[in-house]
Amino acid sequence: MENRIDYHDIQANLMVNYTDFGYLKARYLMIAITNGDKGRAFVSDMQKFITHTPNPHTNIAVQLPKVTTNIAFTYNGLKKLGLPVLTLQSFPDEFIIGMRGRRTILGFDEESAAEHWDEVFNKEIHILLTIDAKTVEALENHYQEIYSIIQKNDGIHLLDGFNNGQGQTTSYQDASALYENGYPTSKEHFGYTDGISNPFFKGMTEEMGNVLGGGKKIAYGDPRSESNWAALETGEFILGYKDEALEYPVAPMPPLLSKNGTFMTFSKFHENVESFNQYLDHAVDKYKLDKEILAAKFVGRWRNGAPITTFPNKEDADKVATQRQQALAAMATAQTTEELLVAKKHFNEINKDFIAFDYDKDVAGGNCPVGAHTRRSNPRGSLEFGNQGAFDTPGALDNRRRIIRRGLPYGTSTPPYNNKGNHGTIIITLTASIKRQFEFVFQQWINYGNDFKLANDKDPLVGNHVRNNGRMVLQGDSSKGEPPHFLCDIPRFIESRGGEYFFLPSITAINMIAQGLVDPT
Amino acid sequence: MPNKAGNLYGLTTLCPLLNSSVHNDTFSPVIRLRELLEQYNIVADSSPMRLVPNTYLARFFILDDVIFQSFPYQEEHLKSKYLVFTVNFHGELEQYLEGMYNAIPTDIASIWRDAVGFNVKDAQSFTTYIKKCQVETTFLFNGSTDMSLADQLKSLYIKQEFSDFVFKNQGVEPSVLLQEFKKFIQMTNPTESFPTWKAGVSDLNDIIQYK
Repeated sequence: MENRIDYHDIQANLMVNYTDFGYLKARYLMIAITNGDKGRAFVSDMQKFITHTPNPHTNIAVQLPKVTTNIAFTYNGLKKLGLPVLTLQSFPDEFIIGMRGRRTILGFDEESAAEHWDEVFNKEIHILLTIDAKTVEALENHYQEIYSIIQKNDGIHLLDGFNNGQGQTTSYQDASALYENGYPTSKEHFGYTDGISNPFFKGMTEEMGNVLGGGKKIAYGDPRSESNWAALETGEFILGYKDEALEYPVAPMPPLLSKNGTFMTFSKFHENVESFNQYLDHAVDKYKLDKEILAAKFVGRWRNGAPITTFPNKEDADKVATQRQQALAAMATAQTTEELLVAKKHFNEINKDFIAFDYDKDVAGGNCPVGAHTRRSNPRGSLEFGNQGAFDTPGALDNRRRIIRRGLPYGTSTPPYNNKGNHGTIIITLTASIKRQFEFVFQQWINYGNDFKLANDKDPLVGNHVRNNGRMVLQGDSSKGEPPHFLCDIPRFIESRGGEYFFLPSITAINMIAQGLVDPT
Repeated sequence: MPNKAGNLYGLTTLCPLLNSSVHNDTFSPVIRLRELLEQYNIVADSSPMRLVPNTYLARFFILDDVIFQSFPYQEEHLKSKYLVFTVNFHGELEQYLEGMYNAIPTDIASIWRDAVGFNVKDAQSFTTYIKKCQVETTFLFNGSTDMSLADQLKSLYIKQEFSDFVFKNQGVEPSVLLQEFKKFIQMTNPTESFPTWKAGVSDLNDIIQYK
């Protein structure tokens, strides 16, 4: 008997990437509880708003509400809400300690150190509410509704202290897709198309993701063939299901509290757009490289999103990216559900170029450097380094490091570009284990190079380079006799502005928390 | 008969629950049922089982799935989730279930509304349904004598009142003690059904039932 997923019991943001469905505006609220009973009353008041995963067997898009609401809790929050000691003790250490306490592991030092964080992240946060909407109006109206509930409850309050970039602080963080000529894009401030790939696990449907590139590599051969990929085990992302180690993930007690929930990280990352552009210009002069090629080598994708390993040539990349853009536009302008389905199908076909690839033909990194950002954070079964059969499957070394990514850019960054100001990306991750997935990727793959045979080299874009000491090897295409380039003096482009670790409970668990019914015995 | 020990009967039933597809996946019946059962925990002394004659102890819970023992064992799952209803009572099964249906027909309808094959209209069809779901096994809880519930509750009541009597009257003159004891007997009425301890009550406030 196959393990069925309790869709209705799972918060929708875990299984559905809202931005895929046109929710391009978000607001994040951090709440502190001063009175446990009133805190539980607030959770109870929120229950009716919480968005659960829609029925996956009919069109998801039409089932999702105009505005979605999701709720998550920190360890201190669960303590304030009166969870029993035995239950609190059963949570994983890294969750108990929180992001602030784990910042060294994440490499949040120097410009990313806690004294540079938004003030709110140096306060004790208890609850995170996330609101996602299609329009600013819908977002604002729903916020007002929730705000008035918060105002009436004297046992909780909204935490102030998000920098808004104008020397002031606000009591929420807004995020939004970036717009070009009035049209929304999926770009972040450096100009890269973001959020293309997400893991695909058992229980997800075609509407939720794609096994090609999203699943795990189980065999060599054409990466566009579904037989070479398989869905990851559900337990890598949702507690209470079998994971890639063929066991249930470590989870808090009782099982009813953890099943259908997961762990979430929330981070605010500032982007030094000025430094980034300056570095590209400097490298173009020094190494005589094309600027756009260099930008693509940094990330492993062209700024338009096309993977450089399959499209080493800019013209080809532009062509396929234009086709994808048109397919996206057709989805956005579809008038009926049927039109949308047709457009979505067309998009999925074209999108294969963007997601269904691996590095089997590019082991040495001649097209996509081994140290490029996307190759590091999602190696797509390339850690055997061409030594086929070294492990059970090509993906064996990276299947347990996959991360569901959510979030949107915040702030604006317009020419003349500048490092100051308040602009970057809100990164939300969802994993069964913050330590094994999120923290591991940051510590070992972003801020270290050993697994890629790159010694101390860090991720060129996201790495915590100290005093411009970042380095990167651009492997040359040996078949063409190209020499490698060695980039150096890379400054830090991304700085942490803070964040926190959360537990994202199931619908059942939210009710247990609200009613004070959590019983670990 | 493994279900019986003297007059004590241990009933264990596994009632398969419908999954959300029967409601076009618009909501989960299991979440609804769990919330209903949780209310019995939240609201003091609200369990309908307190109204069912001769109930020693009853438990409802939802069996989500079987636990996967991890590699190298085979992963197995239940086809449905189950409502587990287990009760220890005094007397015979048919008589008890009939009494249960007559005492709480509306609650039964709410609890079992999403159970597979639950088409109960009267005490007889309820008995038939429960017997279909019965697991013949010895799940007996400790802590009961072999007496009827009414006898047990009356004994409990008298024991409680008698301890109060002892505390109140220690060291008084024998003549006063005799008078007080006569009052005690009059008040507690040991040979009659009432007053007695209320069924299903879990704390010491408001425990006495007068008729």
